[in-house]
Amino acid sequence: MSTIAIAPMLKGSAGVSTARAAGQDPRGEVLSLFEEHRSSLFRFCRFTLASDVDAEDAVQDTFLKLLQHLERGGDRSNLRAWLFAVAANLCRDRIRTRRRWIPWDSSFDRRTAPPSDEVLDRRAMADAIRILPPRDRLLVALRAQGLSYREIASASGIREQSVGRLLARAVSRWKHAVDAGQK
Amino acid sequence: MRCLTDTELQAAVDNEGGEAIRSHLERCEQCRARADERRLATDTLLACVNAVEPSPATDLRVRNAIASAGTDRAGGVRGATALRASWARPWWPRAAVISALATAAAVVLVVQVVLPRFGAPTTLSASEILGRSLQTLSAGHGIELLEYELTLDAAHGHRRIEQLVDRDHPARFRLSNFGPDGVLQSAISQDPAAGRRSHLVRIDGRNYIFNFTSPDAPFIPIPQMAQAQVEAVITMMQATSDQKLTLVDTPHGTDYVIQLPPVTPANGGAMLELYQARTVVDGRDFRVTEFEASGAMLKQPYTVSFKLIRRTVREPAGVPPEEFILPSGSDDVVLTGEATIDMFADLVGTALRELARSQSGR
Repeated sequence: MSTIAIAPMLKGSAGVSTARAAGQDPRGEVLSLFEEHRSSLFRFCRFTLASDVDAEDAVQDTFLKLLQHLERGGDRSNLRAWLFAVAANLCRDRIRTRRRWIPWDSSFDRRTAPPSDEVLDRRAMADAIRILPPRDRLLVALRAQGLSYREIASASGIREQSVGRLLARAVSRWKHAVDAGQK
Repeated sequence: MRCLTDTELQAAVDNEGGEAIRSHLERCEQCRARADERRLATDTLLACVNAVEPSPATDLRVRNAIASAGTDRAGGVRGATALRASWARPWWPRAAVISALATAAAVVLVVQVVLPRFGAPTTLSASEILGRSLQTLSAGHGIELLEYELTLDAAHGHRRIEQLVDRDHPARFRLSNFGPDGVLQSAISQDPAAGRRSHLVRIDGRNYIFNFTSPDAPFIPIPQMAQAQVEAVITMMQATSDQKLTLVDTPHGTDYVIQLPPVTPANGGAMLELYQARTVVDGRDFRVTEFEASGAMLKQPYTVSFKLIRRTVREPAGVPPEEFILPSGSDDVVLTGEATIDMFADLVGTALRELARSQSGR
């Protein structure tokens, strides 16, 4: 019997462990992991890709890869970090190959009624997010899902020592852009 | 200990800081205030990330995919799973088929019924973006001032075009063409309400201004005609099947770059042919900000590119009528005449008459 060890700092899944008997169909386990991590993975992919449709595709592909991973008897030491690492790679691939069709963002469409101040604030925040470079978005999205610096480093391929500095810079960039947008 | 860096503050906010950072924060009021400010910014940013939830349809779709993956890849399933008796098969494949049908029905309903009502497709193609930019070209109200950098061909360098148009009265406009040195080279202005049309041409360092008046002469909306040409090219781009669309993040948002790959010029009989084109559309309002095209019009090759430098729109009441008039200086030669339907004949006729008058006066 092998046990999935979830890092204690992770949100939600702390203390949760899932057992799997040898030779057992892993789909039940994948569905259970999907139930547990679907929201955070979707948010991560949605933020990184700025598209609901692409995020859904990325989440689906991530769990299909998880299924293959488990069927092949892959490493189960930290499946949450594994999921985010795979999702991050899929998002990167998707951004790289996305050319012909692009997500439609209703906030681009200005043919609507004048927005309220609250909507303007939210738009300023969203606009500020858009100017963040892809790597910053990736790190922020991983952090938002409660990943530790070590897990972020593992999922993004960035040195653990650099994660804090890059996150600090991303937050500062975003804040400056929001302030500039609200003036 | 010195005050904390932004990186150390971020680590403290993210609960990744060490004991030294924590103890400094307890002692230093200034760093505590900075940490609070950073925490607020970080929390707000992370809340933006987490403001979305996957829809039930996403759930269903992924569950179906996971459930049906085993049946699709029967050869890839190993061990006990592959040998399991048929009665022991999981319930997912059957449920997946039923769910897939339900999902398909829901998708058809949304695409056919719901989306057209909201006019909000979930994706935009290059063709749709071009369609929207065409709408913005023809829409508008008030006095619009556009400044473009224009390149007709490489030999003539970059020019700056200033176009002042009364969107409510398209025949009322002023077009000014500044050369690469920034000096006004030519201009045309027109105001049908005042029955006035003026041309300016700079020759050998001197401005020649032709003022024509007629209350009855038809006034041609030249900016609209130029716009019609751009619209024609964009419509051709829209109709082409192999546009390449790229999404570019810029400080002001997102730009759409749409490009037609170069094609070999054909000796067809079409009035307007397009060999290659590239346009940049501002994602905020679908306005064309950059445009390059080459092709042939009436079998004459053309190459044109422009880049929008500035655009302002003002209420008509806030724009003095003098802005639609070409001002004349003391050294300028000013000629007057009567406007007719033929703009070219007006110019040549007035110039020749003035020439004959000056010769007879010698």
